[in-house]
Amino acid sequence: MAEKEIQKTVSAEELAKDFKEHSVAEFFKKNMQMLGLTGKIKTLTTIIHEYVTNSLDACEEAGILPDVEVQIEELGEEFVEVTVKDNGPGLTQETVGKALGQLLAGTKFHRMIQARGQQGIGAAGCTMLSQITTGKPVKVITGTSKSKAMSLEITIDPKKNQPVISNLVELKKDFRGLVVKARFKGVKYVNSEQGPLEYLRRTAIANPHTKITLIAPDKSTTTFNRSAKDIPERPIEIKPHPKGANVDEVVTFSKSTQAKKISSFLKSEFDRMGDKAVEEISKGVSFDIEKDPRTLEWDEAEEIVKMFKKITFIAPRTDGLIPIGEDRIKKSIESIVQPEYMSVITRKPQVYKGGFPFLVEVGIAYGGNAGRLSTETIQVEGETPQQVRKIEIMRFANRAPLLFDTGGCAITKAVQSIDWKRYGIKDYENTPLTIFVNLISVHIPYTSAGKQAISDEDEIMEELRLALMDAGRKTGMYISSKLREQEKQNKRKIFMKYAKEVALALHALTKKPANDIEKKLLDIVLHKLKLEEEQGITDEPSEEEEDAGKKKKGKKGGKKQKLFDEGGD
Amino acid sequence: MTERAVEKKDKHVISELEKNGEELLKQIEKKQDPKIELPVRTLSNIYFDQKTKTIKLGDKTSFRNFLNIAHTRKFMQTVLVASEIKKVIQEEATVSIRDLYYALKHTIEGTNENTFEDQSESDPVIEDLEAATNLLREELHLAASSKGVVTGSLKIKDGNDTIDLTKMGSGGWGVPSNVEPERIEFKDIDAEYVLFIEKDAVWKRFNEDRFWKKNKCIIITGRGQPSRAERRLVQRLNMEHNLPVYALMDADPWGMYIYSVIKQGSISLSYSEEKLATPATKYIGLTTQDVEQYKIPKEVTIKLNQLDVKRLNEMASYEWFKKKEWQEEFANMKQKAVKLELEALSKKGIRFITEEYLPDKIKRKDFLP
Repeated sequence: MAEKEIQKTVSAEELAKDFKEHSVAEFFKKNMQMLGLTGKIKTLTTIIHEYVTNSLDACEEAGILPDVEVQIEELGEEFVEVTVKDNGPGLTQETVGKALGQLLAGTKFHRMIQARGQQGIGAAGCTMLSQITTGKPVKVITGTSKSKAMSLEITIDPKKNQPVISNLVELKKDFRGLVVKARFKGVKYVNSEQGPLEYLRRTAIANPHTKITLIAPDKSTTTFNRSAKDIPERPIEIKPHPKGANVDEVVTFSKSTQAKKISSFLKSEFDRMGDKAVEEISKGVSFDIEKDPRTLEWDEAEEIVKMFKKITFIAPRTDGLIPIGEDRIKKSIESIVQPEYMSVITRKPQVYKGGFPFLVEVGIAYGGNAGRLSTETIQVEGETPQQVRKIEIMRFANRAPLLFDTGGCAITKAVQSIDWKRYGIKDYENTPLTIFVNLISVHIPYTSAGKQAISDEDEIMEELRLALMDAGRKTGMYISSKLREQEKQNKRKIFMKYAKEVALALHALTKKPANDIEKKLLDIVLHKLKLEEEQGITDEPSEEEEDAGKKKKGKKGGKKQKLFDEGGD
Repeated sequence: MTERAVEKKDKHVISELEKNGEELLKQIEKKQDPKIELPVRTLSNIYFDQKTKTIKLGDKTSFRNFLNIAHTRKFMQTVLVASEIKKVIQEEATVSIRDLYYALKHTIEGTNENTFEDQSESDPVIEDLEAATNLLREELHLAASSKGVVTGSLKIKDGNDTIDLTKMGSGGWGVPSNVEPERIEFKDIDAEYVLFIEKDAVWKRFNEDRFWKKNKCIIITGRGQPSRAERRLVQRLNMEHNLPVYALMDADPWGMYIYSVIKQGSISLSYSEEKLATPATKYIGLTTQDVEQYKIPKEVTIKLNQLDVKRLNEMASYEWFKKKEWQEEFANMKQKAVKLELEALSKKGIRFITEEYLPDKIKRKDFLP
């Protein structure tokens, strides 16, 4: 209340100025939720995601195998310092401002390109977040191959949305790459499935050409080494397919096009748009499509989109999609998950909603270190108790891990929809499985602004299910054959352990040497198991002893006996 | 039997056991999966012999294989029991079935598993061997534990001792495991019938009241399901001395089943029921029909549970329970949905059972067959 009293004396002009100065920051604060900055844990993971994604993109663009080191230090209660260091091309004095000091500078809106991860807050958003939670600038050390390394501090002028660089110092040492050191309040480091370590582990799995190191607040260092030595091809931007376009996009594109007529605008801005289609659109709309696209009204754009839906187009081109690839996924999972067995499938590209190309990659790893360590333990006699591993589903969108909103995601739903028992996986939730699923698309259909769950489009669900079933079948076959082998070993053990007892007793009855009898019994056991293996028989042991007579023994009889015949001796 | 006869018998038993061992060895030599042929001792392989009026074992057999995961442990146990019995006979000893269990119990090399975990594992194997070799438990030098007690107007000659069963105090004479004629003789019987009582507590009530003296009878209990010795003793009293046998049981499926075991035998010992069952036994009570007859208050009856009904239905289908009177009793019990314990009669007075109920029942000859 007291503050308000004082404010009264402030002029209207000053108030307006004040408002403008804070507008970017205010906008940012108001939209934190939409930007993925909800919750102490999720915010820190999002920050790590932004920096690491930038580093990987920069390295790949420059043709450098990425080597990223993340250090997180706890400075106080919900107060951390994040340092991300890469070996990328580095930033110049001009580009560093745009990358780290200008919100929405590199906006990817309306671009049809397979982009890593989400359209989140960007690294500049992190600068803003640091600024509004700690009041401190972000420290940067950057060096390119052409110039000397320099250190500087950066903040954002909230009024102009412009970078403010200070304390710029040229360093004597040679360094190529980028180091960003930023402090944040209201965030928390946890070592959970949604924390930075798991985020980086999954990032490493989906990006086998990277080396990622994390130094956690407790100073423990984890390094995920690269398992591939080639940098993936850069995805290419493709023009939007008419089937995937909406009215807003058509209006937006029409304002920025170089084309002079709507007809040529359509042909130049949309994929698969030929003369025939343009002619059909021309007949189907109520206005002249030879007019200037800049005069296109909303209603007119609506008519165009309506025609898009009517006309048959060739399916969108899919060559803009760059999958990780089966071999690389295999090597990566082998190196980081170290399973006992795995099956990996990269499916061919498909199209959803008629306009968006996508493809699905699935890896199912079993045994070894596959699966999530649960709190349950199991103890084999004479050994130390071990934590039980259960199913772990790793979801990725264009190689970027999705850690939140698990239940609402098409990937989770697809996994749950499979009848795993059919593939010999009896209790899939309690099986040590790591299920890796990467959805590649020029446009990932998220369920919400949080961009952590993929919506269950029919075509995507179908592809997910086919890939999961394919990989599941192979993994299931492995598990079954392993169980069969185990069963065989168990049987052998059981017969073996009784053989000696039987031999000794027969010796007592017949006076024949026990050693000789035992040896012969063991021969019979081995012979029988070998025969079973050859014939693929796994005889279900019958509880009741086999009939010697002709008549079939009545099961009922046995039961009745148990109920009643408890004595008499 | 003379000592020579015993010796001859023992030699026969040993050779019988050795023969079985040789048979297994022959199969092993031929690289076959060794198997033991055993009579099937379940409901499906027993029949009710109308001539002897006892349960008898049919001729169906089954194989117990070494190389069958479900049989292999039992196979091992069977061979072990056979070898131990041979040893016992050679040492001219007789052991209890519990001794045998302990003698054979040991940890299997390289495992945490015992050859037998519990006596309930060795007892059925012994029965299997008895049935397979057609030899009696006594011939195998094994003694079953017995738990029954008896009192009444008679004397027992047990070896060199003579015991007066009218002077047994409140505890009664404990039935020994071997009651065969060469061991136990009856003397000075002054009883008109034998009363087989299901429960120990009720037997004590009868003994305390000297019921056997007033009513000129012998009272015996097997403390629940009787063991062989009690049943054999009663059979001998019935057959050698023509004493009628009456059973006094709870009016519930369990009590009625025990009655049927006394009368015609059990399924698991069906191979030797001719030597154990007493077909002349009559069921004196309790019945659910008694509830009305003797005006027993409703509150001392117990509601039938699901398992009871299930057992009732099963028993109703047994051939030896096919008699009209029994089918009526089962129907009545099911319809009233109640059962009744012997002790419930105390509601009508402590001595109601001994002074009113039983004498009246016997007088009216109100039995179930």
